[in-house]
Amino acid sequence: MRFPRMMMAVSLVLACGLAQAETATTVRLTELKDKPFSDAKTLASVPAQSKVEIVSRQGSWSQVKAGGKTGWVKMLSLRTEGGSAKAGDSGLKSLFNVASTGRSGSTMTTGVRGLSEEKLHNPQPNPQALQELNGYGVDKAEAQKFAAAGKLKAASMDYLPK
Amino acid sequence: MNKTLMMVLTCAVAMPAAAFDFGNLEALKGKVQEVQRVQKEVKTATEDVSEPQEIEMGGGIASNVLGAAPLLKNRKVQQYVNDVGRWLTLQTERPDLPWKFAVLDDEDVNAFAAPGGYVLITKGLLQQMKSEAELAGVLAHEISHVLRKHHLNAIKKGARSGLMVEFASKAAESQGANKETLKKLAGAGTELYARGLDKDDEFEADRMGIVIAARGGYDPYGLPAVLQTLQGLNAQDSKLALMFKTHPALSDRLNLLDQLMTGRFDRFDGQPDLSARFMAVMSAK
Repeated sequence: MRFPRMMMAVSLVLACGLAQAETATTVRLTELKDKPFSDAKTLASVPAQSKVEIVSRQGSWSQVKAGGKTGWVKMLSLRTEGGSAKAGDSGLKSLFNVASTGRSGSTMTTGVRGLSEEKLHNPQPNPQALQELNGYGVDKAEAQKFAAAGKLKAASMDYLPK
Repeated sequence: MNKTLMMVLTCAVAMPAAAFDFGNLEALKGKVQEVQRVQKEVKTATEDVSEPQEIEMGGGIASNVLGAAPLLKNRKVQQYVNDVGRWLTLQTERPDLPWKFAVLDDEDVNAFAAPGGYVLITKGLLQQMKSEAELAGVLAHEISHVLRKHHLNAIKKGARSGLMVEFASKAAESQGANKETLKKLAGAGTELYARGLDKDDEFEADRMGIVIAARGGYDPYGLPAVLQTLQGLNAQDSKLALMFKTHPALSDRLNLLDQLMTGRFDRFDGQPDLSARFMAVMSAK
């Protein structure tokens, strides 16, 4: 009785993580840290243009495998250009399909794709959908309640100069 | 001194002595007031739309997009995206706009902001995200487009001259004529999504988005994280084509964020990403 639920939980966690290992390249010489903190111990110096494997992310840090070691580098020292992952293969998608359509199928819908340039140049308004969208508004009180439920605390910061 | 009186006196001084007949002063005053009224009309014949008109335009544009891609049939997800979005808007200079957020049932990876506070993101884009902070980052970018009126200004620039003035000046009268003008403007706004904004507008939205996300209490690295995920996708994937066409290169966007965030955002490093809440909503039946 408990087993199927545990299976669900495990697959949920796995699906929400990285579906496949993501490779990245460093854009500069960067330090591989023991922990995601600037003053953590440096495990290695990773040269620019090195290939690493991304394991996870935490704030501004990415946990990577580099040259046989696992550690943390600043996320923005990495670029993932030249990847081959398919947009439709995200781990989230397999969950999502079930949630939104009630089917877990991979049946393709035939016909002209939705947001084509053609449709944007020759639009057909959808007043019914607009009416539904107009009903989506959330009031301030609800938004604040939502933030509190997630323990989000508003912070102050000025916009950055150009 | 009263403006009308001043005008009257100025006119009186400028006129020949024979005209200085106090019987005609009332007539003169009437003429001066007429001039002032015309001046006021000329002054307001600008392209500046009122907020209700801005929202009307945005609705027209959103309606067009919805004609191409329907709303995702998932109330929980729609509610959630509106909660995150609305919370973020409370941290901005337009907290009272009737903001509306929605997910489109479309596999393409894209997002659209329309004047008046409409923000639409595709299911395709949502599926690339891993946390509420990443969702917040993307929504904050779109919110910035509305705050800076990027689309509204681009429509003004591109629309047939006089169209905006026509739309802005028409009050409740001639509803029929205004509907036609609105349709044309909504069409112009929709076409913009196929062309894209100026690259500077996109960089500005990135620059503002990370701040708005930070203000909302989120890990501000959500937006660059999504961009990095998108960068790792196969560039030939047709689901990315329109987004690539209408935005600056991901590497340029990431390079800018790299520059901007180093040092300045350290104090927000502990802010949460709420990935658990995000996953719970996305996987709910």
